[in-house]
Amino acid sequence: MKSNALTGLREGAMRLDSSRSLLIRLLMLAVLVLVPPMVIGSYRALDNFKRGLGPEMDLKAAAIARDLVAQLERAVGFGIPVDKLVGVDEFFAQVLSANPEIRYLGITDAKGDILFLRGALSEQLNDAYRGRSGRALDDSGLKANIADFVDLALPVHVRDVPVAQVHVGFDQDYVAAQLFGIFYDIAVVLVVSLIIAFEVLLFVVVFNVSGPMKLVAEVVAHARRGDFTRVPGITSADEVGHFVRIFNSAMRQVDGAYRGLMAYIDEVRSGHFDREVAGQVSEIADRVRFLFRFHPSGAPLVLREKLSSDVRLPLFLFIFAEELSRAFMPLYAQALPSPAGWLLTPELLIALPIAVFMAGIAVGSLWAGAVTERLGSRKVFQFGLAPAVLGCVMSGLAHGVIELSLWRGIAGLGYALVTVACQSYISKTTVDSNRATGLGSYVGAVLTAAICGTVAGGVLAERIGFGPTFFVSTALILVSGWLLSHLLAVVDHGAPVAAPVPSGRPLLRIFANWRFTVLVLFAAIPAKMALTGYFFFLVPLTLWNSDHSLAELARIMVLYPLVMLAVSSQSTRLADQMGWRIGQVALGGLIGGAGILSMLAFDGTLPLVIGIVCLGVSHGMSASPQLAAIPDICWIECNRHGRTQVLALLRTLERVGSVIGPLLAAAFLLHWGVKGAVIGLGAVVLAMAAIFAMVAGAYGSGPHLETEEDVP
Amino acid sequence: MIMRRLLLGAVLSAVLVPAALVPAPAWAESPARSPAKPYRIYMALWRGWEDAAQGFKDYFTNQNIPVELIIRDAGQDRAKLPEFVAEAKQLGVDLVFTWGTTVTVDMLGTYDKVDPAKHITDIPAVFAIVSQPVGAKVVPDLASSGRNIAGTSYLVPMDTQVNLLQSYRPVRKLGMVYNPLEKNSLVAADELRELGRKNGYELAVAPVDVVDGKPVVESIARKVRDLKQDGVDFLYIPPDTFLNVNRDVLTGAALAEKMPSFAAAENPVLSSKAMFGGVYRYYTVGQLTAYKAEQILVHKKAPADLPIDPPRRLSIIINMPVVRALEFYPPMGLLSLAEVVDNGAEVRQ
Amino acid sequence: MSWSLARKVSAALIAILVCTMMVTALFGFFKFQDVMSELVRSRYSFVAFTIKQKVEDSLNLGFALRQLRQVQETIELEKARDEQVQGIEIFDAKGEILFNSDRGRIGASVPENWLLPLSAASLQPFAVLDEDSNVVGLPLVNNLGKVEGAVVLLYPTGYVERELGPMLWRLAGEIAGLVGVFSLLTVMVASVALGAVRQRLHVMEHALLLASGGEAPLADTAAVDEFDGHFGEFVAKTREAVEHIKASTDEVERLDRLA
Repeated sequence: MKSNALTGLREGAMRLDSSRSLLIRLLMLAVLVLVPPMVIGSYRALDNFKRGLGPEMDLKAAAIARDLVAQLERAVGFGIPVDKLVGVDEFFAQVLSANPEIRYLGITDAKGDILFLRGALSEQLNDAYRGRSGRALDDSGLKANIADFVDLALPVHVRDVPVAQVHVGFDQDYVAAQLFGIFYDIAVVLVVSLIIAFEVLLFVVVFNVSGPMKLVAEVVAHARRGDFTRVPGITSADEVGHFVRIFNSAMRQVDGAYRGLMAYIDEVRSGHFDREVAGQVSEIADRVRFLFRFHPSGAPLVLREKLSSDVRLPLFLFIFAEELSRAFMPLYAQALPSPAGWLLTPELLIALPIAVFMAGIAVGSLWAGAVTERLGSRKVFQFGLAPAVLGCVMSGLAHGVIELSLWRGIAGLGYALVTVACQSYISKTTVDSNRATGLGSYVGAVLTAAICGTVAGGVLAERIGFGPTFFVSTALILVSGWLLSHLLAVVDHGAPVAAPVPSGRPLLRIFANWRFTVLVLFAAIPAKMALTGYFFFLVPLTLWNSDHSLAELARIMVLYPLVMLAVSSQSTRLADQMGWRIGQVALGGLIGGAGILSMLAFDGTLPLVIGIVCLGVSHGMSASPQLAAIPDICWIECNRHGRTQVLALLRTLERVGSVIGPLLAAAFLLHWGVKGAVIGLGAVVLAMAAIFAMVAGAYGSGPHLETEEDVP
Repeated sequence: MIMRRLLLGAVLSAVLVPAALVPAPAWAESPARSPAKPYRIYMALWRGWEDAAQGFKDYFTNQNIPVELIIRDAGQDRAKLPEFVAEAKQLGVDLVFTWGTTVTVDMLGTYDKVDPAKHITDIPAVFAIVSQPVGAKVVPDLASSGRNIAGTSYLVPMDTQVNLLQSYRPVRKLGMVYNPLEKNSLVAADELRELGRKNGYELAVAPVDVVDGKPVVESIARKVRDLKQDGVDFLYIPPDTFLNVNRDVLTGAALAEKMPSFAAAENPVLSSKAMFGGVYRYYTVGQLTAYKAEQILVHKKAPADLPIDPPRRLSIIINMPVVRALEFYPPMGLLSLAEVVDNGAEVRQ
Repeated sequence: MSWSLARKVSAALIAILVCTMMVTALFGFFKFQDVMSELVRSRYSFVAFTIKQKVEDSLNLGFALRQLRQVQETIELEKARDEQVQGIEIFDAKGEILFNSDRGRIGASVPENWLLPLSAASLQPFAVLDEDSNVVGLPLVNNLGKVEGAVVLLYPTGYVERELGPMLWRLAGEIAGLVGVFSLLTVMVASVALGAVRQRLHVMEHALLLASGGEAPLADTAAVDEFDGHFGEFVAKTREAVEHIKASTDEVERLDRLA
């Protein structure tokens, strides 16, 4: 271990002020302690369960065998010779199809020769049956293991003379195989646990080690040049805290010595009669001040910098909680009683909770931006937590679709406030140079939370039901809120940045910029329509209708964030390298629309899987280039109103698509059924993407303002 | 003048002496929750008290529905029927039960010719054992009578019979001996031939000889032999009055020729040597008719709302001694559904 | 107890481990219970079905349900065959119990909710939950298509737990042991994994203490190359500052004393 540490020291492989190397070690630790117990535990459980099922299987086999014996005794009692029985095969087939755990049924004569057998080959059983011929069976029969089967034999009597035996063979692995259905659930739990472990460890490392050490590094960077004006303000009981205390005592020792010297000098200067001495002493003071810098206030400034990554874990938990209901929201709405009326068709009512949630987000974020500027992230966050919790818990208690929609709208409001507060916290705590990393961390947390939330929600809802899943969400939101309110402590929100109240009218002139308008109408809006109308609404409904369980449904739906996560990291790099942003946006749109339309070509689940993957590719490909293209195509407006304002406008406008999506899909659903609705929505999305692709060619021509400005 | 007598709860003999009108004690045990007056039902029979009437009566007993049955037997005399109509009206009964096509048509009229003076119109009625309710114009449609009557049908549809026959053993050549003078049998032959085209069998028919306008009993055995030589593997016995009377001759001949037989009526199987049959038992039909009456009387349903249908479950009857003699065993599935006639004795071939 | 880094990391990981294992165990248990009770239910449905067939065969012969005296023997036989069966009952469409393996209950009425499945148009098997019994039932239909009543079979709820309780507890114990072992392992491995951090912090602390003490030769402390090698510079600078200020103080003192 010591050598390990020394190697680390020598090669500089691990830096305490960066989380990466330490995190990798700890992740390996997490895998080590999470995976083996899960595997061992599952294996032991399966083994025990299998043995536990045994006696019950015997009883079932005996019940069936007794009934067969009764029917055979009746037939044979009528004088039908056992070997001349007719239609035994069909008769057995019925019993076998009604009892899938029974593998075969057979009749042997008194000598043990097989007369009838269905479900197995006679070669498999012949020897075993012949081997025991002549042995009389009592009424409880004989149980034996033959090859992979458990064979139960009961005697058939006619007038107390045994004439035949009925054999019921069952397969213990059949029911055990049913238990394997839990395998996917366990895999999901394991993956989600590992991701949560990653997030938690990242948090622990950043909060306890790399964060404080970054602060120390900053102080060190100043102090090594003689600047002793600040000390890291860290108080923790762990090793880092201990180190910082010693570090600070060293700093304070220097500072104290300086203060002592200065006080002494002042005393000498004021109290000494000799002018010359006073001058000399002043010179010494000047020399020390020239060589070293100390804080003028009399003590070093205590640094308490907050890091953008502090917010990552709570944000992760919050999004995780919100995404739990993703896979089943339309199904939940479908299951609730709905007061279908003149305008509110059942289809529309199912779409309503999603649409209202989206509308809540749209309204919430319009408003949250301005409020955050005035109140600061912490307040807005706390403010947003209330509707988020209320919306979530009441969604679980809702009695009807309308009520559910109302609560979803309120939850959407909370969602918007919380996410905007987190975003603004990140941009506050980062400077331009590391803002990209900060926002990357935000997007990363959102996507991993979406992955975990979607699958975990499906599994959870299947086990505990829709309502209780919302309560789990609520608990998670509360945990996230508790963490955040501790972390988002005082963040200096300096002077309000030029109070950019969205000065409506002038900004609206941006629509005169056709490039912007086209981008909004034919790229941003259809992308959101596809997301909410297709992915959030139609996909769960369609999968559910084709008899997929909730857990399966969630496992299919998780493809979207997975693919998106994979594609987006690559596409951002591609966009930066090739500068082909508009093209990427256009291509992304076409892929998404075409993917949804694969419903035309295939049946079953396949087109949905294709559609989801294509949508993931599409959004992963076009989301960030779309934003990155804004400064290019709206150079004047960005300069005039600020880039943030223009981006906020784009975000707000595309949310119109989010609201329209499910409603449009519901309208299609009403007229054309599920398949027709998917095709209809796909056609709309593809058509809009095609228009954008055609117009996109013109983006490069005409008066075009290049800027060197790059978006993070 | 109609005589009346006490109606006992016990099973009555088939020959019915016109009864006195006294409440029957059979439902004396009925629970106290229905102290209401018993429903009065006028039963008009054609040829005495038989299974359908018994089933009708037993249903009320079993269901604890208090009824007072006024039983009249026409004794196959059509002239008595107008008297019955008049009496039923005069008594002001709650419901009328009619047995057979003749009684039903004469007492209730056909749907296109109802005369309130001659027919019962205001009192709801249920009919049973009408072989062609639509053909006899009792109802325009089996879904609804469209008037104040309801009823049951009792003939097994021919395709059901063929399916049942085929489920015993697929048949390639089906034989049928019949009386050419009975129209029912001719219709049956046509239907069987038609179904044979769909079900992949051939129908061979052998009409019994007719001398002086009368079917000859002695020709039956020869006809069966002819069919056997013709390669027939299953004999169909139609619901033919002549063959019903001479069922022992017919089924005996079939057994002698080692030919399995299927009967469309219960008698050849139950009391002769036909191998098996699929029928709606009169008793069951009577119960179903009583069930319709219950719907009307107790549950206050309009008779026109009740469909005219047969019982749900067919009675499959297997004559085990014949099966053993033929060594032609029924499939297990069929056996488990069937009622088996087995007196334990072996039959003579 | 102070929260060292290793303890914090271990606590986080153990919390996740415990939660994960608990969730997995619960899911596993529910699934097992599902499969098991489905198996039990299908067996009892089968038994009820054989009784239903016998009864309906008799109904087809035209007997009334309450007349089928031999059914009483059938159900008593079936009940005697399986001690887990709490009872088998046959009741009519009005809910009056006509036959019961417990003869004392004959004539009593079944709960209202048992009659609901009979009024449904479908003649499907049904399952209801009584206070402490699972009930599987099948409607009895006569050949008129009329529901005459139903046969129900009662078996205890918690059948699975009772039959397999010891096995499940043993399994739970095994899993708890597993969690315990791996928790210990977590604590040990975390302390090893964080050893490097501790070590380096310690080296830096040592360097700082030496520097402020001013006794050690500078060469030693300069070797600490933490923070891109800046730490060494920092230590040197600190020492320089301390020494410089000390020298300056001495000088001031000298000047002060000169007077």
